[in-house]
Amino acid sequence: MTRKAPDTLGDLRGPIHEEMAHAHDFDTRDPLFGLHRHDLSGPRLERRTVLRLLAAAGALSTTHLLSSMTPRPAAAAGGTLRAGWSGVGEFRTLDPAQINQVLLFQIASNVLSGLTHIDPSLVAQGDLATDWTINDDGTEYTFNLREGVTFHNGDKFTADDVLFTYQRSKDPEKSIHSRVLANVVDVEKLSDHKVKIKLGAPQASFLVKTLERSSGRAMTIVSRGGLEQLGTSQYGLTPVGTGPFRVTDHQMGQAITLERFDGYYDSSRPKLDKIIIQPIIDPEPLAAALEAGDIQITGGNPLPPELIDRFEANSDLVVNSVPGPGFQSVWMNPWIEPFMVTDFNKPVDELMKEKGFKVRLAIAKAMDRDRYIKQAHFGRAIPGYGTINPAMGFYFDKSLAETSNQRFDLEEARRLLAEGGYPNGEGFPTLKILHTPSTRRDCQVIKNILKTNLNIEIELDTKDFPVLIDQFDKMDWQLCRLGSGGDFDPDDGVVDWMQTSSKFNGRERDKDKYAFGFFSDAEVDQLVDEQTRTADLEKRKAMVQKVNKITSDKVASAFLYHPIDIVVHRKEVNFPAESQIPGLVDMDRVTVS
Amino acid sequence: MSGYLIRRVLGAVLVMWAVATLVFFMLRAVPGDPLAAMLFDVGDPAAAEHLRQKFGLDQPVYIQYVKWFWLVLQGDLGNSIYGSRIEVSRIILEAIPRTMSLAALAFAIAVTIAIPAGLISATRKHSRLDHTVTVAAFIGLSMPDFWLGILLIILFATQLHWLPAVGYVPLSGGFWPWLSHLILPAIAAGTAFSAVMARMIRSAMLEVLNTEYVQVARAKGLKKLRIVLVHALPNALIPVITVMGIVLGLLMVATVVVENVFSIKGLGRVLIEGILNRDYPVVQGVILVISAIFVFLNLLVDVLYTVIDPRIRYD
Repeated sequence: MTRKAPDTLGDLRGPIHEEMAHAHDFDTRDPLFGLHRHDLSGPRLERRTVLRLLAAAGALSTTHLLSSMTPRPAAAAGGTLRAGWSGVGEFRTLDPAQINQVLLFQIASNVLSGLTHIDPSLVAQGDLATDWTINDDGTEYTFNLREGVTFHNGDKFTADDVLFTYQRSKDPEKSIHSRVLANVVDVEKLSDHKVKIKLGAPQASFLVKTLERSSGRAMTIVSRGGLEQLGTSQYGLTPVGTGPFRVTDHQMGQAITLERFDGYYDSSRPKLDKIIIQPIIDPEPLAAALEAGDIQITGGNPLPPELIDRFEANSDLVVNSVPGPGFQSVWMNPWIEPFMVTDFNKPVDELMKEKGFKVRLAIAKAMDRDRYIKQAHFGRAIPGYGTINPAMGFYFDKSLAETSNQRFDLEEARRLLAEGGYPNGEGFPTLKILHTPSTRRDCQVIKNILKTNLNIEIELDTKDFPVLIDQFDKMDWQLCRLGSGGDFDPDDGVVDWMQTSSKFNGRERDKDKYAFGFFSDAEVDQLVDEQTRTADLEKRKAMVQKVNKITSDKVASAFLYHPIDIVVHRKEVNFPAESQIPGLVDMDRVTVS
Repeated sequence: MSGYLIRRVLGAVLVMWAVATLVFFMLRAVPGDPLAAMLFDVGDPAAAEHLRQKFGLDQPVYIQYVKWFWLVLQGDLGNSIYGSRIEVSRIILEAIPRTMSLAALAFAIAVTIAIPAGLISATRKHSRLDHTVTVAAFIGLSMPDFWLGILLIILFATQLHWLPAVGYVPLSGGFWPWLSHLILPAIAAGTAFSAVMARMIRSAMLEVLNTEYVQVARAKGLKKLRIVLVHALPNALIPVITVMGIVLGLLMVATVVVENVFSIKGLGRVLIEGILNRDYPVVQGVILVISAIFVFLNLLVDVLYTVIDPRIRYD
C-alpha cells in the first residue's frame, strides 16, 4: 500500500489488528454477517458496516484499514478533478436510452438522476423519489417525488418528466432498453410530485434494476426540454439532467467536462467545481498519466491487474478495492461432444450417469480457481461458483465454494474424465475456446491449467467482440470465455443468464435444432420466475441461492471468478467510503486537497 | 498543365470511388453483426429490428450501396450506428484537425532531422559521422513507435514532468497547451520517417554529387556549401519529394498506434474503432476521406516536381 513509513505503520499495527478482528467477528452462517437491516440502509453506511461487508466477501485487507487510518490531507470543497477512463477510446453516448456499457453509465450517474440510486451495499435509496409505498400484492408502487428539483437547463422536475421518460424508454424506436419496462403496464400521474407505477406482476428487482439511475437506464430521468432543444444526437453528447454535475463540454474521443450544478437538490453536494474525464485506451499511458499527476482518479473498464501492484507501491497513489458486481465463466456448448447434455431436467445423480455431463463436471472441477486468479488476475479476483456475486452481499452464498459440485478436486476431475471416455485425456478432441482479445491472457492460463490437470488440449480462438457475439448467440462455438458485469440485483444473474428464455441463452440459435442454448432446467425456470415476484427478502434470498446452487451443480457453465472493482486515485483525492459503489464512480462526495 | 490537372483530378475521383466501393462490399463480407454486438447486453429483438430498418441493414447489399452512394453524391456520409448516432462528417471534421496537427508536427520533425542528417551523411561518405548517422537511422527505423512513445512518456511526463502524458488540446485552447500535447507524439511518429527520409536523401545526394555538372561546378571553384545546397540538393529532392508525399499521407492515417498511446482521437483511431465495431458508415466515410488525402497528396507531389525541376512538363 502507499504509506509505508515504518514509524507510522508501527503505531498503527495495534489498531489495525483490532479493527481486522472486529470486522471478522461474525457467524459465517448469518446472512447479514452480524449486521442489522438498518445498518445496510442509507443514506450513509458506517465505516464499521463497510469493513464488515468487505470481510464477509473475503476482500478485506490491511490496505482498507491503512488507507482510512493514516492521516489524510485536508480536503476542501471546490477544485478540479482530472479523471482517466480506462480501456475506452471515446464516450459514444450518455443518453440513458442508448447507453450499453458500464463505463458510460459511470459518467451518466454523475449527470442524471433516477427515482432511486443504489448505495455501496447495492440497496436502493431514494434519489428523485423521497419515499414510496407498495401495495399488498407488490404490483403498485406509489412514489413521492422530490420537490424543488430543477434540470440543468432550469426546467422544473415534475411527475410529467417521469411519464415522459417512461413513454420514451418503452418505445423501441427511441430506446434500446424497452425490454426492461416490459413488466410496467402503466405510469400514472397522481399530482405534480406523485406518480403511481403499475406492474404486470410483482418484481422484486424493480427498485434496483428498473428505477436505479445508472444501471437501470430505462427510467433514468431525461429532460424533455433538453431533448427538444438539443436533438437526440447532441443530447447523447451533452445530456441535460438533474444530477450533481452538468456537462459543459464534450470533445468526442478527447475529454468530457462536467461542472458543478449549483441547483442540485442537495446543497452539500457536489464538492468539486469541475471534473475533466479523458478516455485513455492503452493501459501503460494511463498508468503513466496517473503517476505523473496528469490524471488523479481512474474509472472505466477494469484496470489491468498487472498494474495494481505497481500502483500500490507508489506512495502518491491509493488503491480502493470492493467486490465487483459480476461473474465470469467458461461456457461449454451442451450440443456437441464431448460434453453433450441435451436434457438438464434430471437430478444431478441421474446426470452423473451421462458421459457428457461427466466431462463438463471434470472440466469445472479441474479448474483450479486460485491458480487461475493468481496467474491471470495477479490474485485480484474472488473465486466464482455461480452468477450471484459477493457485491450483492445479502444474496451471496459464501458456502457455495465448499458445497458446489464444481469445487476444485483434481483426483475426482480425472476420475470423471476417465469415466467420460477420456482416461488421462487420451482421445480427447482438441477444442477451441472462443474469446475476445482482452481475455487472451485468461484463456492462455485456462489452456495451461486444463493441459496440466487433465492432459487435454484447447486452442485459443480470438475474435473481435462483434464476431464473438454473433457466434455465441448462434451457439456456433465449443468453449467460450464470457461473463457479465454491472450485476446489481440477482435478476441480472439468474434472469439474464440462467433461464431457458434468458436473453443470452442462445437467442439466435436454430430453434429447430437446439431446444435451448447453453442451459435449461425447468426447476430453475420456475424458481427464477418465483423469486422475481417475491417481495419477502428472506424468501427471495433462499430461492436465489437455490438457483445458484442448482446451476452450479449442474454446470450451466464452469464458473471462474467474480471481479474486484478497483478505483485508483492520487492521495490528494478523498474518495469516501459512501461513494465506493461497486461498478460505479460517483464523484459528488469526492474532494481534492 | 491545366489539361493534365483536370485529367488527374478526374482520375483521382475514379480511384476514390473504386476504393470506397471495394470497402463497402468488403465490410459486409466480414463476419460480425454491428447491431448484435451493440445490443448484446440489452437483448431486445424489437430495438434491434428497428435499428436494422433505420440503417437500411435489412435490405439487400446492392440497395444499401445505391442508397449510400446517392447520399455521398449529395455530401451526406450518413450517421454512426453507435451511441448518439452523430453524423459521420462531424466525427471526421473533429478528428481531422487533431490528425493534421500531429501529422504536420511529426512531418516537420522528420524533415528537420532528415535533411541535415542525409546531407551530412552524403557529403562525408564513409566518415565516422556518416556511420553515426547511418546507425542512428537504423535505430530510428527499428524502434516501434508505440515503444518510443511510452519511453518518452515515462521520461518527459512521469519523471521530469515537463510535458503532459496523454491527451490533446485544440489550438483554440492556446498555442503552448496545443504544442505541449503534441511534442511527444510527434517525435514518436516522426522518428521512423526521419530515418527513411535521411537514407533517401543520402543515396539521392550521392548520385547527384557524382554527376558531371557537379564536377564542373567543383572545377570552377564554387564553394562546397553552394554546390551542395544550390546545385545538387534540388535535383536530389525529386525522388525524396515522392517519399515525402507518401510519408505525409501515412502520417495522416497510419499513426493510429501513436494516437492510441497518447489518447488522441485522430482519423486513424476513428477508422480502427469503426472497423472493430463494424460501424459501416464511419468506416466508409473515413476511407473515402483517406483515399482523397492520398490521391491529392500524390497529385500535389507531381505538381511540385515542375516547380523544383522546370524541365519537367506534363503537357
